[in-house]
Parts: sequence; structure tokens; C-alpha cells
Amino acid sequence: MTIATDVAPKAATTLGTLGGDRPAERIEGARSRSASASAFSNPYLAGIGLGLVLLAAFVAMGRGLGASGFFSAVVAWGVDRVAPAHAEGNGFYASYLAYGNPLEGWLVFEVLGMMAGGLLSGLLAGRVKAVVEKGPRIGTAGRLTLAFAGGLAMAAGAKLARGCTSGQALTGGALLNAGSWAFMLAVFAGAYGMAWFVRRQWR
Amino acid sequence: MSAPWFKLGLFGDEASLLVAFLIGIGFGFALEHAGFGSARKLTGQFYFTDMTVFKVMFTAIVTAGLGVFFLGWMGLLDLSLIYMAPTFLAPQIVGGLLLGVGFVVGGYCPGTSVVAMATGRIDGLAVVLGLFAGMFAFGEAFPAIEGFYHSTALGPKTLPQVLDLPYGVVLFAVVLIALGGFAGATWVEQRMAARDRAPGEAVEEAS
Amino acid sequence: MNRFLPKSLEGKLALAALCLGFLALFGDPYRGETVKLPTRDLAWSSQQADRIGATELADRLLSGRTDTRMLDLRSAAAYAEYHIPGAENAPLAELGTGIGEYPLYRNETVVLYGDDAVATAQAWLLLQARGFRGSVLLDGGLDAWKNQVLFPALPEGTAPQTVARAKAVAERFGGQARLGGAAVGDAAIAMPKVEAPAAVAPAARKPKRKEGC
Repeated sequence: MTIATDVAPKAATTLGTLGGDRPAERIEGARSRSASASAFSNPYLAGIGLGLVLLAAFVAMGRGLGASGFFSAVVAWGVDRVAPAHAEGNGFYASYLAYGNPLEGWLVFEVLGMMAGGLLSGLLAGRVKAVVEKGPRIGTAGRLTLAFAGGLAMAAGAKLARGCTSGQALTGGALLNAGSWAFMLAVFAGAYGMAWFVRRQWR
Repeated sequence: MSAPWFKLGLFGDEASLLVAFLIGIGFGFALEHAGFGSARKLTGQFYFTDMTVFKVMFTAIVTAGLGVFFLGWMGLLDLSLIYMAPTFLAPQIVGGLLLGVGFVVGGYCPGTSVVAMATGRIDGLAVVLGLFAGMFAFGEAFPAIEGFYHSTALGPKTLPQVLDLPYGVVLFAVVLIALGGFAGATWVEQRMAARDRAPGEAVEEAS
Repeated sequence: MNRFLPKSLEGKLALAALCLGFLALFGDPYRGETVKLPTRDLAWSSQQADRIGATELADRLLSGRTDTRMLDLRSAAAYAEYHIPGAENAPLAELGTGIGEYPLYRNETVVLYGDDAVATAQAWLLLQARGFRGSVLLDGGLDAWKNQVLFPALPEGTAPQTVARAKAVAERFGGQARLGGAAVGDAAIAMPKVEAPAAVAPAARKPKRKEGC
């Protein structure tokens, strides 16, 4: 199976570009950027939509959104299937197993819904395709390795913080939760701090 | 106080899972519609070329924050029944730094990685696999870091409580900061676009 | 006037946000100090729903249910001397001012009791007005608890099952059934030491489902 790799400076893809480095492509990049920017809809309207979904969760459930809890619930379920005694003895896994089957958790169903909703939006906008998103200066293998590594780091970070950008930054941010705001600032600091070191991956 | 519905017993556990799925659909749709199924759009934030992450996130925070405030004020929503995650200051800051690093390296956050995977992004799938692996590693390492994990527990704390200011004042400040941030973000985007343009290229209207 | 209104969509949204944010300066999402009495709701509320009998409460506690909170409205001294096992001390004065911070939740059942029927009724009205619709009075207050649960009077001719049951319940709470006796005189009988009956083990409490991310 050949995997299409979406390299940044190609003209006018619906995915948009961030501007290539080489002079001849700068013009292309700039033109396609403005053409495709509208394809993503106004960010403020998108933000309002997202905020209303979050508000719906507050009103319906008395809780906010989340994502990282899905991954830990599935892992806890898996460990419990393979080695129940080990799972019970570990404080982390046990916290997911205390209330019945972790796969019947709110977050699990919510994330499944996210897959469906994301797919739906992508289909409507024609943005569904098997690609590897990356910049022009890195290969597919390198990109996928870094992606996996990023996932590792984010898992640790999300569990230490008791949430990720969905659960802590969005939810806690809207509720003016002090820890969540501290978390949010730390996320931006960490990302901006690291950005220069992985710039080859994107630009 | 007629909300939150679930906590006031208006529907049960099974129905809440259906609600979860529906809300998830809305969430995933909103993320993809904003373009967050694309790693390059997301990471553009951290190279100052595309500040959509900041704009969407803070618009959502302001929208939901104002919504919660006014529904509470009108007596329609009982804020005290909304789950407020307890603050663990040190782990949350360290966790935030780690998540930020992982975000720009991986290209997605946990939520957007799921959306990206759903729309075919192989790198999104790689992040998802990394998340599963990382959760397992974290779980196995948990006994060693349990002390740090539970440290600096401050309980559920809101910014109004910490700053000793009325809720509405803090919320207004957040709105002002967000609006100022949006103006600043648009300015930064335009400056970066100008820098990337070849000389002599006509100025384009940024959205 | 039109000249000052922003033309772009973003501008209009920003103005709307600014206005709402400004309005928020004057509000309180936790609905502060004054309350509105929902007179229609309160007038219609059923007598039965407002109160719980002493024996019914005892049965609830013995069956291991952990969803019933009890507030003892008397002073700290009286509370220390005796209180219904599992009850929390919430003197009426504190309840009036500190409701916003007092860890009560509007979806809980809260049983109010004291030694003064008027004070109990006041607390009930206060909580109901603040939206705590799950608040109920202990019918007869602490006296009823003494007379019906701790030291039930069982005159001659009471059915044997009733006698046995009343004795068992009384003993579980550290009291003692009085066969053939009259009503309790206040100072005469020593109140039992406060011990939770064996059935109500805190370990039986169902773990709360995870609500974080």
C-alpha cells in the first residue's frame, strides 16, 4: 500500500500550507494558504461551536469534555484482562477498575463519538484521505517515529496533569479552574520551547 | 436549578453513555471543522504562522465560561454540581510542559489525534499508538512516581478563589485577555505572512 | 451611531463578548446571599415528602445505605454528647450564612433534626429556598429518635414480631427497648455512647465514578 505523503509546498491542497522555505514556493504557499484558509471556516465561529458543545456537556452531565482518560481506561482494561492481580495492586490501574468495566466509561463513549464526528466533518469537507502530514524536510519514517514519541510524552503529561487540552485546558479553562490555567500556560510554554528543535519536521 | 440534568436524576447511567457519544460527535465535528485534523495546521501555532489553535481554544473557553456564568446567574444551572478537577500544582505544571513538548513533536494533542486518525492521518494513528504505549508505561512506572503524582494537592480551586476576586471580575478579565490575544494573534499571523511573501507580492487580506 | 458599530463579523462577536463580560461584573453565578422563595412550589409540596419518621430513618441507616446525610442543628456541645450516628453538626446559625461554602449538594437527601421543632423547620425552609430540594425533617426531632428507636416503649399486647424488631433496632443503636414502659423522661435515661451500628461500615460506600479527563 502506498501512503500519500502531503508535502507542504504543493499548491492549493485543501489541507493548506504553512509556506515553504524555497523562494519559488513562497508565492505558491501564500496563495494556497489564503485560498485554503477559508476552507477551515472562521476560527472564531469554530470556537463558538466548540464552546457550545462544552456548555452542552456542563448542562447535560455536570462535567466537561475529555480525551486522555479514554486511553488510560482502555489500557487499564487491557492490563486487567491479562494480569488482574497486577492491575488491582497498582494504584493507577485500580482507579479505573473501581467502578465496573472501564470500557463502559463516559469518556470511552465520548471519544468514540469524536471519531464519528471527526469523520463526518471530514467527509462533508472532503478532507478524508490516508496521508502522513509533515513538512518538506523530513521523511515519512522520521515523522511517524516522532509522532509516536510525541504520543508517549503526552500520555505521561496528561496523566500527571489529570487531563489534556480537552479535559483540563478547555473544561477547566471555562470553569476558571486555577490548576487548569496553570496547566494551559505550561502546555504553551512547553510547546513553544520545543518548537525550534523540531522545526525540520514542519517547515 | 434544573441543570445539570444527569446529576439531578433526569436520566440514568445508560442514557449518559448515549449522551457521551452524542457530545463526542459534536466535539469531534467541531475539532475537524476547525481544521484540527491536520498536524501542520495545529503546529503552525508554535511557529507563529497559524494562530488558529489559540483563537479556537480561547473562543471556546470564553463561550462556555460566559454560558456557565449566565446560566448559573439565572438559576438554570447549579455550578456547585459541576465537577471541578482538584488542583495538584506541581504535577500539573510538569504534566503541562510534557504535554506541550509532546504536542509539537507529535503534531496533535490527544483529542485531535483521535480526530486525525478518523480522517485517515497515518501520523494521527501513530500518535494514538504512542498514547496507548505511554499510558501503559506510565501505569507501570506509577508506583515509583506516586508520591509526586499526589503532591501539592490544593483541592478544587477556582481563579476567583485564589485571586480573592468576584467571579464576574475574573471572567471579564479573561474576556479582555482573550480579545487582546486575538488581536495580537492576527497581527502576528500577518507579520509572518509578510515575511514569507516574496518582495513585490501584493498584500492579501488575511482571514 | 452606526459608524461606531464594527463592520466585520469578528468585530461584532468581539463587541458581544465584551458586553457580556462587562455584564458579568454585576452577577453571581452561585446566586449569593438573598434567595427567592418559590412559594408556589413550597405550598404544593406534600407533607409526606417533607419529613421522615424516626423508625424509617433507623431502617435506612441499618440497611447500609450511604446516601443519606444527616445534619444535627444543635450546638457543638449537644452534638458531642450524643448525635445520631453518621450525622454532621451544622448549627443553624452557620447554615444561614455559609450555605454557599457548606459542602451540601442539591442532589442529596439531607435529613435535618434538632431538639427544637421551630429551628428545624427554619433550616428546612432555608435549604428548600436555596434549591436543596432533597432536604427533609426528622418528624419529631431527636425526641422521636429517642422514643421510637433508642428506647421504644412497647406496651403489653404488642405483637411479638414488632417487639423483637424494635428491640433489635434499639440494640443496634446502643439503646434498649422498654417493655411495658411509659414515654421517656428526659434526664432519666442515659444516652448511649455514639457508635455507628455495625451494619453501616464506611467501606461499603460505593466508589464515585471517575469524572476527570
